[in-house]
Amino acid sequence: MTDQRKIALGFILHGVGRTWNDWRHPDRDVNASTSFAFYKEQAQLAERGKFDFLFVADSLSITEKSSPHYLNRVEPITILSALSAVTSRIGLVATLTVSYSEPFNVARQFASLDHISGGRAGWNVVTSWLGDTAANFSRAEHPAHDLRYRIAAEYVDVVQGLWDSWEEGAHVGDKDSGVFVDPSRLHRLDHQGEFFQVRGPLNIKRTPQGQPVIFQAGASNDGRNFAASRAEAIFTHAPTFDDGQAYYRDVKERARGFGRDPGDLKILPGISPIIGDTDADAEARYQELVALESLETGFGFLSRTFNDHDFRQYDLDAPFPDVAHIGLDSQQSGTLRILADVRAGNLTLRQVVQRLATPRGAFVGSAETVANALQTWFEHEAADGFVVMEPLPGQLALFVERVVPILQARGLFRDDYEGTTFRDHLGLGVPANRYTIARDAQRAA
Amino acid sequence: MTKARKQMHLGAILSGVGTTQNGWLDPGLPGDASVDIDWYIDNARKAEAARFDLVFIVDSPFITPDTAPHFLNRLEPLTLLSAVAVATSRIGLAGTLTASYWEPFNVARQFASLDLISKGRAGWNVVTTGLEGAARNYGRDTHFDHALRYRRAGEFLEVVKGLWDSYEDDAFPRDKAAGVFLDKAKLHRLDHKGEFFSVAGPLNIQRSRQGQPVIFQAGESAEGRAFGAAIAEGIYSNAESFEQAREFYADVKGRAAALGRDPDHIVILPGLVPIIADSDEEAQNGKLDLDKALVQLGRPFNYHDFRQYDLDAPFPDVSGLTLNSYKGHAERIVRTARQEGLTLRQTAWHFAARANPFVGTAATVADEIERWFLGGASDGFNLRVTSPTDFARFIDQVVPILQARNLFRRDYAHDTLRGHLGLPFPENRHALAREQLAVAAE
Repeated sequence: MTDQRKIALGFILHGVGRTWNDWRHPDRDVNASTSFAFYKEQAQLAERGKFDFLFVADSLSITEKSSPHYLNRVEPITILSALSAVTSRIGLVATLTVSYSEPFNVARQFASLDHISGGRAGWNVVTSWLGDTAANFSRAEHPAHDLRYRIAAEYVDVVQGLWDSWEEGAHVGDKDSGVFVDPSRLHRLDHQGEFFQVRGPLNIKRTPQGQPVIFQAGASNDGRNFAASRAEAIFTHAPTFDDGQAYYRDVKERARGFGRDPGDLKILPGISPIIGDTDADAEARYQELVALESLETGFGFLSRTFNDHDFRQYDLDAPFPDVAHIGLDSQQSGTLRILADVRAGNLTLRQVVQRLATPRGAFVGSAETVANALQTWFEHEAADGFVVMEPLPGQLALFVERVVPILQARGLFRDDYEGTTFRDHLGLGVPANRYTIARDAQRAA
Repeated sequence: MTKARKQMHLGAILSGVGTTQNGWLDPGLPGDASVDIDWYIDNARKAEAARFDLVFIVDSPFITPDTAPHFLNRLEPLTLLSAVAVATSRIGLAGTLTASYWEPFNVARQFASLDLISKGRAGWNVVTTGLEGAARNYGRDTHFDHALRYRRAGEFLEVVKGLWDSYEDDAFPRDKAAGVFLDKAKLHRLDHKGEFFSVAGPLNIQRSRQGQPVIFQAGESAEGRAFGAAIAEGIYSNAESFEQAREFYADVKGRAAALGRDPDHIVILPGLVPIIADSDEEAQNGKLDLDKALVQLGRPFNYHDFRQYDLDAPFPDVSGLTLNSYKGHAERIVRTARQEGLTLRQTAWHFAARANPFVGTAATVADEIERWFLGGASDGFNLRVTSPTDFARFIDQVVPILQARNLFRRDYAHDTLRGHLGLPFPENRHALAREQLAVAAE
């Protein structure tokens, strides 16, 4: 029996790295976060490896304590538009928040990226979660957690409605008859909602893949419902196989509950694989990473999860301090995970900080070992694919050169791109245009 | 009067299928040109080969079914210019974004990013959006009124330029051995609190090789001229005659000087739609469509439908209409109709087939360009690009004449947009303040 499912692979373009010390690695280009040449090199390498997509994360506020990549980096829409000109197949997923932008502008930029790239755009829908972000956008405060998902839901509705402004065939461009547009196929949205009022129509026609692909990355209860009801791909965080499987099964079940075919929703854990010549060699490389990091990095991640709270005021070797109330509004799922670990292991502050600084993850080993782990997750309901981050310079090349061929040989991954659009790669259908559906229904009646 | 600037500047307004109702029928133009990135890249490269200072992308966020073809369906400026950036290496990249419906932090970020990706070639054409209907795409019932728009835009720009100075130019030692990525003393919060915006900052992206993106502006009304004189480094103007252009030029440069600015640091580029023929006889471009001309006439009056009036009566009384959108252009139409006693029909013809001074052989067109440039009517021109044959004629026939007369560059001397336009490098305000303090202390 051949399983027609193939592993989906994405690569996170993350400049100088995830942490406060990554950039110091001897082989790391210190300008990576702002160098188009660096992004281009990684993008083209991932495309040679037949990856489904590139992914760019984002956030909209910093302090002097932020990590190097966060301090100073190119913006997602502009860098992916630039990369679309030097790639031809790989998907392009940009993170953009619903919290501080207008749906008309977002609909427009993603539709434009989709046209420019020949149908390869994806939108990672997020609601910003650092309290300071509001201060960059003339808002006094950040909306409370549950309000954010209601806003996000309406926001996505508006954007998708605008993407439907032009039906297929609306742009006629017929030089012989002199008809540029068929006005009966151009529609105003006339959205009047709780949070948004948008008339439309959008001033760009239907894109090559119908609509950009919707990504989401929520792990809280509201986030899971949002993802299960609307997302086409979910970027999730799963430190262990059990975490991955639990999340996968839960969200797929929720999707069924929303009347969706669970196969239309791809769950993609983020991973930081470390590949070595042997398992022992990979272990040594992991230790290289540990040596590079410092407590400062762990403090940085911890602080970020708890609304920039400064943990350096506490005794490192005392039990983890009581700060549950601080975290629960900003990054709820991150907070809950840390608190669960603390309870389970009676962890000290030092232990929490070290784990955050250099998480090991489940994908450290020889190419064969890593491929085996990927296959296990894929075949046992823990993943439909993975979003790969490069924890050390050179790891993407090793993944492409050594791991991808193993997956290909096992029939788990494509040998080459078959389609041209991002939806083609992920095996997602083209969403029907709501106005076309309505007209067809009227005709049938 | 001696011309301070030696050579003129040329921009190419990449306009896809064009802004007339029928231009898209040109057999040399793909029907899809306005959403075809290859069309834009191809023409940007042609402009670069001809040594143009910049490509220019106009924009607006509102359409009706009567809107001109290029505006109906086109790529968005920042995405488009980011792709063009990668396919070119010298030419400037100026894009339009409205201050009325964006957040200053996001605008600052996207232009700074384009500036880095392009290695210092970005420009931002600041508009406040002329079309009344645009408000309804952004959750508002009505557009900001005219005066408010400009006050708000002024503060918006203040915030954006302040954010662009978040990092001093040498803020990043990136010293692996010492473990110092950022010199924290060179990162500055903005902490702006104003009438319309409160933005803490800092921006999460550094400055480029040209310091800050170049600021463009386009506005003919009194508020528009005042705004341009105060903040613009480039102005895309819309002059229909030499006299009108000269009046505008003198007025804006004069206002700038009165504000303490160096008038040479504003580059005024009137729009240019030359018609180049083998002889000086003006070519009749086929039958003009009156119906379409009336629709075009209505656009600056918030899409008012002029077809309801008697065509051969005097131009109707439109004082009851809101002159919010494109106020300057609307005012000019009314003034022209009244002063010349035009009927509605004549007004429509006048503005649809308006007198174009740049018509004739290549030499004639070059002569007129030179007259404007040396006569204090412009610092160069912003050429509308749609038809491939027209663009080719301009590049192959007119540009060489300008170069031979030493009026236009033969080769790039710089690789940033500021360099091409002869604009000064904007020092980071924090570094400048520190230097001034040090000098004062001596």
